[in-house]
Amino acid sequence: MSAPTLSTGKATRPRHGQPRTARPDSAREEFVRALRRNLSAHGFLIGAVLCFSFFSWYPMVREFILAFQKNENGRTTWAGWSNLSRVVNDPAFWQAWRNTLLFTGLALLLGFAVPFVVAVVLNEFRHGQGYLRLLVYLPVMLPPVASVLLFKYFYDPGYGLFNRILEVFHLPAQQWLQSTDTAMLSVVIAATWMNMGGATLIYLAALQSIPGELYEAAELDGAGLLRKVWHVTVPQTRLILSLLLLMQIIATMQVFTEPFLLTNGAGPEGSTTTVVYLIYQYAFNFNNYGSAAALGLVLLVVLAGFSAVYVRLSRTSED
Amino acid sequence: MASNTFVSRRRAPARRTAERRAAAPERQRTLISPAQLARPRGRAVYWTVFALVTVLFTVAFLGPLYWMVTGGLKTTQEAVQSPPTLFPTSVHTENYSRAWTVMDLSRLLFNTLYYAFGALACQLLFDVTAAYSLSRLRPVFGKAILGMMLATLMIPATVLVVPQYLTVLDMPIVQRNLIDSPWVIWLPSVTNAFNIFLLKRFFDSIPRELLDAAAIDGASPLRTLRSVVLPISRPILGVVSIFAVVGVWKDFLWPMLTLPDPGGQTLNVGIYSLANGVPENVLIAALTIASVPTLIVFLVFQRNIMSGLTAGGLKG
Amino acid sequence: MRSAGFRRHRRTRRTSAAALVTALTLTALASCGTSSSGNNNGGGSGGGSSDPSAPLDPKTKVTLSIDCMPPAAKAAELREWNEDIKTFNKKYPNVTIHGKSTPGQCLEPPRFTAMLKAKSQPDVFYAYFTDLEQVLDNDGAADISAYVNDRTVPALKDIQPQVLDVARKDGKLYALPTSNYTMGLMINRKLFTQAGLDPDKPPATWDEVRAAAKEIAALGKGIAGYGEYSAGNTGGWHFTATQYALGGDVVDSTGKKAAFNDATGKQVLQQLHDMRWEDNSMGRTQLLKWGDLQKQIASDKLGMFLAAPDDITYMVQQLGARYENFGMGPIPGAQGTLFGGNNYMIKKGSSPDRIKAAVAWLNFKNLTQGKGQFDWARTKADQLPVGLPQPNFFLGATKAKDDAERVANATMPVENFKAFMDNPVTGKAEPPKAQEIYKILDNAMSGVLTNKNADIDKLLSDAAKQVDQVLANQ
Repeated sequence: MSAPTLSTGKATRPRHGQPRTARPDSAREEFVRALRRNLSAHGFLIGAVLCFSFFSWYPMVREFILAFQKNENGRTTWAGWSNLSRVVNDPAFWQAWRNTLLFTGLALLLGFAVPFVVAVVLNEFRHGQGYLRLLVYLPVMLPPVASVLLFKYFYDPGYGLFNRILEVFHLPAQQWLQSTDTAMLSVVIAATWMNMGGATLIYLAALQSIPGELYEAAELDGAGLLRKVWHVTVPQTRLILSLLLLMQIIATMQVFTEPFLLTNGAGPEGSTTTVVYLIYQYAFNFNNYGSAAALGLVLLVVLAGFSAVYVRLSRTSED
Repeated sequence: MASNTFVSRRRAPARRTAERRAAAPERQRTLISPAQLARPRGRAVYWTVFALVTVLFTVAFLGPLYWMVTGGLKTTQEAVQSPPTLFPTSVHTENYSRAWTVMDLSRLLFNTLYYAFGALACQLLFDVTAAYSLSRLRPVFGKAILGMMLATLMIPATVLVVPQYLTVLDMPIVQRNLIDSPWVIWLPSVTNAFNIFLLKRFFDSIPRELLDAAAIDGASPLRTLRSVVLPISRPILGVVSIFAVVGVWKDFLWPMLTLPDPGGQTLNVGIYSLANGVPENVLIAALTIASVPTLIVFLVFQRNIMSGLTAGGLKG
Repeated sequence: MRSAGFRRHRRTRRTSAAALVTALTLTALASCGTSSSGNNNGGGSGGGSSDPSAPLDPKTKVTLSIDCMPPAAKAAELREWNEDIKTFNKKYPNVTIHGKSTPGQCLEPPRFTAMLKAKSQPDVFYAYFTDLEQVLDNDGAADISAYVNDRTVPALKDIQPQVLDVARKDGKLYALPTSNYTMGLMINRKLFTQAGLDPDKPPATWDEVRAAAKEIAALGKGIAGYGEYSAGNTGGWHFTATQYALGGDVVDSTGKKAAFNDATGKQVLQQLHDMRWEDNSMGRTQLLKWGDLQKQIASDKLGMFLAAPDDITYMVQQLGARYENFGMGPIPGAQGTLFGGNNYMIKKGSSPDRIKAAVAWLNFKNLTQGKGQFDWARTKADQLPVGLPQPNFFLGATKAKDDAERVANATMPVENFKAFMDNPVTGKAEPPKAQEIYKILDNAMSGVLTNKNADIDKLLSDAAKQVDQVLANQ
């Protein structure tokens, strides 16, 4: 193939930007050319750079500033550490963190493992793979509000479908979203249904790139099904798995839509209050942007920590 | 994992289907050995598992859609009846027309598409040029700029929602309030470092000879981009486009905050804010209607979308 | 929380914004057609009197922008609005009123916040009683104390003092009311009759509520006797109302300490817990917020809940219910009840003439018996509801006249609200930092309603601790 592909990207990467036609006395010419190149290059960049400046970089700086400001009687004044201490001393803070970590943990257990198992199983099928892939991916395309409200109906302990199904199988009815014990789990189940399609497809693609000989070799060593999965499939997809893991951690730690819509935000005794929902409350219900920014800062630091640990781990494992 | 899907996307459609058919028997060896499957016991297990999974998936993923479509046909009483009914006892198609008019779904759908394709246009324009510049023109500070862009990948959008919101209320320098304007969706969508990263990686991989040839012909960077780079970048542009459109389609918090005017809301936000104001059966009908357009688009373009998403890797 | 209806209408888009996607970012930003932050304040020419207490000189030329004009979808209301402007212009021909309509609710918190932050509010803007603090923190409203007196607002002395008090801070007046409500007990008359209860005698004590709820729930078919919120900060809102009804308080008189961790607070939660878990008369679905119970009662799935009278309008217009189906009694316990409502504020920085014109318009439209919103004969002729007990913030002679006209033009059986009307309960304002306190109390409410083994003492003491903290952080 003459056309480039993503995976060959690194190989053909040129060392220098421009072909050099070395002429000894053309330093000035070279400079003018470099200048022109830079002008057009920055001209190409300016749109994106401006957007990033306005909507990413500046807000990032502003987050820090806001976290130390307060707004009272029409005046903005410095608040020092008071926003931060207020946020940390709010009992909802620890609850929100517990809930968010619980969500992340459950989401990893379900949203990470389930798609992997599904992908491994689907990859074995000689028939109907297209149909099944289509099914798994279907919910991803639905408007999230539609999926979430759908689950809200299913979860209803009165007329909901899920309790009806349990009843048919003579299982005890559940409170689903209406109990501190199961509320977060219910949110995670809905979120997994909605989002597992993406991860499944990525795993499937990764599985298809595993050389078949590896399995044959493992079979010669007398490996059974599970050992083949553990010793071939998992290591071979490790890179994708770990990348997705980080992505999922970062994504699930900012969960907002699902609990916001399923439990009207807080849930039973606040058991589905997440960090981002708390930020939302501070800013848009309590009109307290300082505290919202301070909490955002805390979340930022935690996520940056995760990213750093991840980068560390992936470096050491590459060595 | 990326390369094979890309290759297949570039082939002519007619050839592609022919190859697909031909490729089926020589499919890649997977976890379970063909020999094992060929045995009678293996075959029995295979078909049992296959049937189970197929039924389970159909129920799990089509069941809710069935419930939604029929729920929209029930009376208000029946929609919240315990236990729920499998078939509507009487069919009320007027729920759908009521949902369509009361919730003004055509307006919401139009808005959402308007925002999604506007965001797509902005991203194609700004992100492609930026990625091209960073990849090929190599300006001074290019590395630093790229680094700063990629750093935003590690900082999730919702963390910045408060300062971003305050920023669009009163844009610095230009002194504009972007609330309720489509730009409030379009411009922030440009800050998609992941798309820039994908595009840049693809541009990096374009053979130098191609570009050098264009440079010798005296083509300006803009012309090179247009007539050399873009035509061979179709696959990656497809991927980026899907991300752009799906991103806007699925977003909730940001449009809820920045598009409070009910006339300009997106489908997600509009349905959410009107959910309380209509009876349950009408709401379910509205959910169905809201789901139909994407389902159609998805079914029509499913091959492109799915291969695009897997190829693009990790998001989505 | 209050809803003025969710009807939407078409609206011409800003097409200028659609123009060129190919423009560079800066040009794009500059070309987009949104309103910039600075409004032309201080406008309004002409030489009115320099004395703020004098009424507007009819010769003064002023333009006023004002929000919460009825949207086109509410054709009758919009027609009345335009008629009122015409009548008003007979006296003040030089005042031009530019109404801005919002489909759906006139005020949604995120939009309101955005408006204040960007200072893009119209000259005269609509707010909830509880918004004053937020508006003042954003320096958004003008002090109109000097402009409001018996000459500019003749009915002033007949307006309930508490309705004006919520518009005051440090003795300065910032708003004029348009509507008010006090919470009472809304009942579904059909279910009352079916359950063999007397719909003309809504339960007056919580014991009676509990007994009635049990009877109604016994009808089966997923019908709940009594419903209550526990999410979206509305649970705390209703906890407050119930607490007031039992003679309790939420924040003590110093405004610095929680006051609900007492026997009354315990009773509030205990009776909800018992109705939910011992009697099973509150339905199984909890975590409800504003709008959910309205849906239930409108579809005859709920017997009673605490509500304001204007919820009936919402249920009739949005949810297809019928006026006859509802009745109201005073809040059980009747020691006090939560009151709230809406008012109009005037943007800070408006010229004196503009403030005068705004006061004149608000007086005519919202504060004059027999005129504007209180022109009940016209409301009836336009086939809009007449006969709901509220808004009703007048006292004395004005109230007597207004009530008589309401009854004379009633379009619904007003006797259904007799219990509510005949037993007025003293209204009590929402606590300071209401939303934050409500959020905390949501937890206590959802606790007893979703957990059979809820530890009420702990829920209350935890909430009290948190509320103390919020109040200390003021």
